[in-house]
Amino acid sequence: MSENIQPILETRGLTKHFFTGNALSRTVVKAVQDATLQVYPEKVVALVGESGSGKSTIVRMLAQLYKPTSGDIIFEGENIVKHTSRAALLRYRGKVQMIFQDPFASLNPVHKVSYCLQRPLRIHHKAPPGMASALHRQTIELLEQVSLIPAEDYIKKYPHQLSGGQRQRVAIARALAVEPKVILADEPVSMLDVSIRLGVLNLMDRLREMHGIGFLYVTHDLASARYFADEILVMYAGWIVEKAKSEELIQNPKHPYTQLLLSAVPDPSRGLRTAEIEIKGEIPNLANLGAGCPFAPRCSKVMEKCNTVMPPITTFDDGSWTRCYLFPNN
Amino acid sequence: MSSTPSQPGQPAESTTLLSVQDLQVEYRTRRGAVKAVDHVSFDVSKNEVFGLAGESGCGKSTAAHAIIRILKPPAYITGGKVMFMGHDVRQMNDMELRRFRWRHVAIVFQSAMNALNPVLSVGNQIKDVLRAHTNMKPDETHERALELLRVVGIDTKRLGSYPHQLSGGMRQRAVIAIALALNPEMVIMDEPTTALDVVVQKQILQEIRQLKDEFGFSILFITHDLSLLVEFSDRIGIMYAGELVETAPSQEIFNSPRHPYTHRLMNSFPTIWGARQELLGIPGSPPDLITPPSGCRFHPRCELALADGTCKQVRPMLIDVSSKHRAACHLVEQQLAVQKETVP
Repeated sequence: MSENIQPILETRGLTKHFFTGNALSRTVVKAVQDATLQVYPEKVVALVGESGSGKSTIVRMLAQLYKPTSGDIIFEGENIVKHTSRAALLRYRGKVQMIFQDPFASLNPVHKVSYCLQRPLRIHHKAPPGMASALHRQTIELLEQVSLIPAEDYIKKYPHQLSGGQRQRVAIARALAVEPKVILADEPVSMLDVSIRLGVLNLMDRLREMHGIGFLYVTHDLASARYFADEILVMYAGWIVEKAKSEELIQNPKHPYTQLLLSAVPDPSRGLRTAEIEIKGEIPNLANLGAGCPFAPRCSKVMEKCNTVMPPITTFDDGSWTRCYLFPNN
Repeated sequence: MSSTPSQPGQPAESTTLLSVQDLQVEYRTRRGAVKAVDHVSFDVSKNEVFGLAGESGCGKSTAAHAIIRILKPPAYITGGKVMFMGHDVRQMNDMELRRFRWRHVAIVFQSAMNALNPVLSVGNQIKDVLRAHTNMKPDETHERALELLRVVGIDTKRLGSYPHQLSGGMRQRAVIAIALALNPEMVIMDEPTTALDVVVQKQILQEIRQLKDEFGFSILFITHDLSLLVEFSDRIGIMYAGELVETAPSQEIFNSPRHPYTHRLMNSFPTIWGARQELLGIPGSPPDLITPPSGCRFHPRCELALADGTCKQVRPMLIDVSSKHRAACHLVEQQLAVQKETVP
């Protein structure tokens, strides 16, 4: 990634703790800890992790649906955590949009496609007030951009009349309506059929190029992250444990967890019946984390200090980094 | 683990255990009959892993549920035969069916949380199966339950645990333990790992393979995840819109698929280790099965559809491409005819 291009959206030490239980027994769920990431214009950064690793929590903080426990979110050079007035939120959401995992749940079933697309246009004043024809024209253009053609047919349909892939395209068109600079895509293709997924991923890639949109692509699927993203972040139990350019991360994974994850992905092209791997343990309970590296109990290369203090970030020459004592800071 | 683990493409024995012939299943809805499974035929041999793959709504789960007759209205079996070890499953009465299910064929469902009873301990649910199907005494069922937990890699201290106290992977293991309770000849696995994370999925699939080699049961494995299936199965059947369009040993279906749908499907998912190339997916979406396309059901999405209209009008039959490879496509038929002419 070019050094002189500034990130459009970044986080510094972003942390989210959820408090559960009652006054007598309070439990802290450490969902996200000290997360640092950057989203650049016209680039895709993927956030990969298993369920419960905290990736959706990061996205929801970035969408300002959750308030961070601590840390900063910087958008276009401004720390937005401090600006939470309605006007500031509206301004922010006019530039940062979100696509959800489940297109069956994210579209209002009682409204037509036209309503769903015109609402953001109205709210963010993208169409001159009272100009029904302009609004209609913009809606048509949006549908055409996501390849729902002929758009005149789709505009009158209800979500239940559309297939999963078509609904997700409507959801993408809705995000596009406000001409965003960043799109947060939370597992946008995992609910879709295999034959439909590529179409939607390719569409997002085309829109990224056309409009210079920066994407944060959240997924549990490393293969699709490699396909779509320029850079991959791997999350485990609330921590981002490794960041690298996509190809580098796949070919040369540094963190033992990334290596485990890669060896577990089924992939026929690597030859049938891959070597069996030694896997022990399961993802830890986030309410009951020790002080050290959360992966330590499952790690085959665990050292004594792993159990006491979380390793700091070790940065490499190409800008990639990892949190692991196997790569000491010099 | 046995000393000779079976290899993909080479079933240990070629004795047929299950034979499905021309199976037809309909869902009768107010809008009309949905032909969810249409003239599907396949065999599963002893000790074989047969994978059934396809997109959602292609009829793969319906076919599996039809085999052990657990379909509920509005789904009806309207034709075909299901033969298991020489017995016709469709002709069985309630008593015979009761003996057939679980003792001979068990099923593992996708969602372990829904398959398990939340108010019974795991141990009790295993014992339930034993009590219902055998004459074991209480201390024998207890011993067997402990043994089954050991077999699937759950700490025997968990015998008294309730499903909500177990992780997703543990719950799925418990469901597998229940399926194996009576040493069935065949286990149907309907998306057993879809709800799990990749690492846990890998763990469980490794264990299932070991158990299969140890106890010698066959597996009918149903999933939408082709890369997983190619890795895990000996033979694969690909379904599209209620029809079986291709069957072949998994290695062959991955390296040289013959049906255009299979071919496009194999190019629809990005891989970790293969070349990083642009992939296209398949344009269009799967058809509505109340009014399926005429002829070959894939023809509206097929770029290779014959210009003379054959694909649109005539339904292709499954034909032998080689001794173990069958495909239902007019194009393949033509290619084979040409080969026959040139090679006398």
